[in-house]
Amino acid sequence: MRGPRALAGALALALPLALSLALPVAAHAQATANTLSSRLDPTTRVAVQAIVDSARRAKLPTAPLIDKALEGAAKHSDGPNIVSAVRQLSVELGQSKRVLGGGASTAELQASATAMHAGVSSRDIALLRSAAGPHRRVTLPLAVMTDLIGRNVPVATASQVVVGLARAGAHDSDLSMFERNVRLDIERGADPSAAAQTRARGVMLRTAPRAGTRPPGNQ
Amino acid sequence: MSDDKLFEDGVIERIAGELRDAERPSAGFDARVMASVRGIARARQREHRERRRLWNRVSQPRTITVRPWSVGLAAAALLLCASLAGWGAHAFARMESAAPAAASGGSQRVQFVLVAPNAKKVAVAGDFNGWDAQHPAYQAVHRGGGVWSVTARVPVGHHRYSFVVDDSLWVADPTAPRVVDDDFGTTNSAIVVEPEIR
Repeated sequence: MRGPRALAGALALALPLALSLALPVAAHAQATANTLSSRLDPTTRVAVQAIVDSARRAKLPTAPLIDKALEGAAKHSDGPNIVSAVRQLSVELGQSKRVLGGGASTAELQASATAMHAGVSSRDIALLRSAAGPHRRVTLPLAVMTDLIGRNVPVATASQVVVGLARAGAHDSDLSMFERNVRLDIERGADPSAAAQTRARGVMLRTAPRAGTRPPGNQ
Repeated sequence: MSDDKLFEDGVIERIAGELRDAERPSAGFDARVMASVRGIARARQREHRERRRLWNRVSQPRTITVRPWSVGLAAAALLLCASLAGWGAHAFARMESAAPAAASGGSQRVQFVLVAPNAKKVAVAGDFNGWDAQHPAYQAVHRGGGVWSVTARVPVGHHRYSFVVDDSLWVADPTAPRVVDDDFGTTNSAIVVEPEIR
């Protein structure tokens, strides 16, 4: 008699526990579905939802994926294109997580995925992570790297310059000023690659004493 | 009157003698004091007994019969409450992401400016408002001379955004870093919002 009673007791305890674990996931999925269903056609919504669910299981941030789908809808892109973009972003987020590690913030993963989308390799992102040191966020350096590429600085040059700045101890404020100066130089007609490299040397001259490294030569 | 005269008349002695006499309490004074003291002692004993009774009730071992289904029901109710709380918190977090103006700790006020002399309407759409160009908090105001601006709260993090001119034209912010994502045919801008330093 003890066996069936114990089994009933265990079931009575296990059932609500399982229910409590399943409920938040179900509620989250429902909230996501509601957001997507108001903006996407049913076929696209189902496909996007599947990618989002898969990302959630892989412990990737899902908000960037939903935002990507919403962006596609806002720009009146067709369903297959939206699904393709969301899937691509999911892959890039996964790669970013592998490169940056489990401690990376959503913003870092998102910035890294965006940089990868612009053509930056996993190796260069790992180099940046290493150059920046363990305690520094790499969100802004990655955003600057992506911006340079968007302004026709070759990918290799953009990566090399930003990794060099991070290694030299450039702060986010230095990088913001660097990005602004390169942008203005290019708008005034400068060659993008030359502008990036020249402005980077200028930043390193200022940051070298701070980082205890030797400033580059007068070039 | 001199001091010697006072001593001679014994006036000072009389006054000192009256002052030395102990005050005589009224009849029954001792009885009233003792009754009051006994009353206080009784109240304290009563209080102590009550405390002891309560402690015995709590600390004495006893057998409680519980049916498994009742434990399950109680646990289910407890966990359901926890789940609903979690769900509520999650829903709130998502709402916050869609309407960042609600929170100030996790967001910063950001000014967006676009020079668009021929525009009739300018709005900002991005990750921070669900790419909703109609979002009321992100409608730019014409400041004169073709300058449009809006200041809105943007959550901490990395975001992509764009200006939407006249509800149809997507324009990257010329003063912000670019994002190379032409998935949907237009270039976006990037913004990194850092946490507020207090």
